[in-house]
Amino acid sequence: MDLKDIKAIIDLMKKNDLSVFELEKDGFRLKLQKGLGEQPVISAPLTLATAPVGTATPPAQAAAEPGAAEPSTLRDIVSPMVGTFYRAASPDAPPFVDVGKTIAEDSVVCIIEAMKVMNEIKAETSGVIAEIVAENGKPVQFGQVLFRVK
Amino acid sequence: MFEKVLIANRGEIALRVIRACKELGIRTLAVYSEADVDSLHVQLADEAICIGAPPSSESYLKIDRIMSAAEVGDVDAIHPGYGFLAENAHFAEVCETCKIKFIGPPAAAMQLMGDKNAARASARKAGVPVVPGSDGIVDTEKDAIKVARKIGYPVMIKAVAGGGGRGMRTAHDEPSLIGAFHSARHEAEKAFGNGDVYIEKLIINPHHIEFQIMADSRGHIVHLGERDCSIQRRNQKVIEECPSPLMVPALRKKMGNAAIKLAKSVGYQNAGTIEFLVGQDRHFYFMEMNTRLQVEHTITEEVYGCDLVKEQIRIADGQPLSPHVAHATPRSHAIECRINAEDPANDFQPSPGRIAFYYAPGGRGVRIDSHAYTGYVVPPYYDSLIAKIVTIGATRSSAIDRMRRALEEYYVTGIKTTVPFHAAIMRNSEFRDGKYDTGFVERVMNSEAFELVPSRARLHE
Repeated sequence: MDLKDIKAIIDLMKKNDLSVFELEKDGFRLKLQKGLGEQPVISAPLTLATAPVGTATPPAQAAAEPGAAEPSTLRDIVSPMVGTFYRAASPDAPPFVDVGKTIAEDSVVCIIEAMKVMNEIKAETSGVIAEIVAENGKPVQFGQVLFRVK
Repeated sequence: MFEKVLIANRGEIALRVIRACKELGIRTLAVYSEADVDSLHVQLADEAICIGAPPSSESYLKIDRIMSAAEVGDVDAIHPGYGFLAENAHFAEVCETCKIKFIGPPAAAMQLMGDKNAARASARKAGVPVVPGSDGIVDTEKDAIKVARKIGYPVMIKAVAGGGGRGMRTAHDEPSLIGAFHSARHEAEKAFGNGDVYIEKLIINPHHIEFQIMADSRGHIVHLGERDCSIQRRNQKVIEECPSPLMVPALRKKMGNAAIKLAKSVGYQNAGTIEFLVGQDRHFYFMEMNTRLQVEHTITEEVYGCDLVKEQIRIADGQPLSPHVAHATPRSHAIECRINAEDPANDFQPSPGRIAFYYAPGGRGVRIDSHAYTGYVVPPYYDSLIAKIVTIGATRSSAIDRMRRALEEYYVTGIKTTVPFHAAIMRNSEFRDGKYDTGFVERVMNSEAFELVPSRARLHE
């Protein structure tokens, strides 16, 4: 089991709203538990930070990243406002960015619609889009991760 | 009835509103700053949306973000709580424009009574006695001197846009007037963005007695008696009681009617409080009106047997005053102590941080309105109120004895609280005799006899 597997498990837990995952095999034991706060969960041999979830999740940044074994080089683009996230300027337009797209600081990466106003959101960082985290057409809150950039 | 309400506030009052909504079968949407992620109101609301960074100016005061959250959450109404945007007429207007019901008075009434100077004019017009003072804003030193000479020293210089005890200065004679005048203007400018001041006669050691009014949208207005809020420290209320030990039925009738008359004259709706200063001679003067629900609404609820927040929601929904509110009569006595995260042994220095252990008192006649819990981290960005403890007794002295008993059981470790301070006040003979005024706390704390009653809590982790 490596970090990629553990990350995949965390994603699965998030998607299916699971609170606890336990695995024991050949002397290796792993337990992942969703908490309300910042309690890190211990397992042998790695220490992982849990992913705080639920509607009350804040714009978690480093807390959701498996921290101990490998320093994360991904940067987050977070929402500066409350509204609805759209990947393109209109339903039939192409998305502003896709995974693999190179962006500069002033590149428009998405639209957040608030109170009928379409706000173009700038990247404020440069690099390559690694992950699209927010869901098209879904509400986002202040600080919520929209994209991950490497 | 509304299906969903957004609570534009935090802490204990957000919890209070959420509780009322749940009892009415209304879904709740909490908005919160990054500092309030683990707050109880966020956990107990049906939905929650983060609206910004910890500072209030970056979150709880961001009208655009709150309205976005309201839109995203598809709410029918917004309850503003107290403080923050509760008395912001512009916010009330924005809600109206967005077809979301603001649970409170109409923006026009809020505007009129929110300006302390205009409020005085409204009071005079309605025939309500006001504290003698300037006829409007005092612009120049020369005018200040003229007004002060006319009404007589000592005087109080107050900010027109003021609140929370700020933008106020006293002057006991002419030499100190000019300095006080400029000082008040400067503080007001910095705190409220408006340096305009007016001048009032300073009534020495008055009682601060306020009347709760409730008005529906059909012009029916009632008062629910008075609250005595004279026990203040640096112009901030710390203990409130209902009824006032100074009150007699004839005076209550006069003041209550004056309050209703004033509210009617400005077309008021929903909950509001009219504050009066009452001299030792039982002469009363209109001071100001708070166009919102107050922190101490709790003691009125206990004595008059009603839920003021639910009534606010019903009124906002267009319903007439509930019969039990319209015909409410007082019964028993209630006292409230505001528990702050402050160190009374160190000049009430703020004491934010993690509550290691929290146990609140219970038993007959004890009500706790609090968002605190074991492990909760009190953030440093907001006011220090962490709990309100209310005791109800058949008589004033049994309410005091109950408060004394309850405070002994109040265990909070990890942070400092004002519980020991309140415990000392409950043992004070002047307080127990009902002989106090707004100068009480200062006098008592400076006296030799005053001793904080240490908490009996042991550290539990």
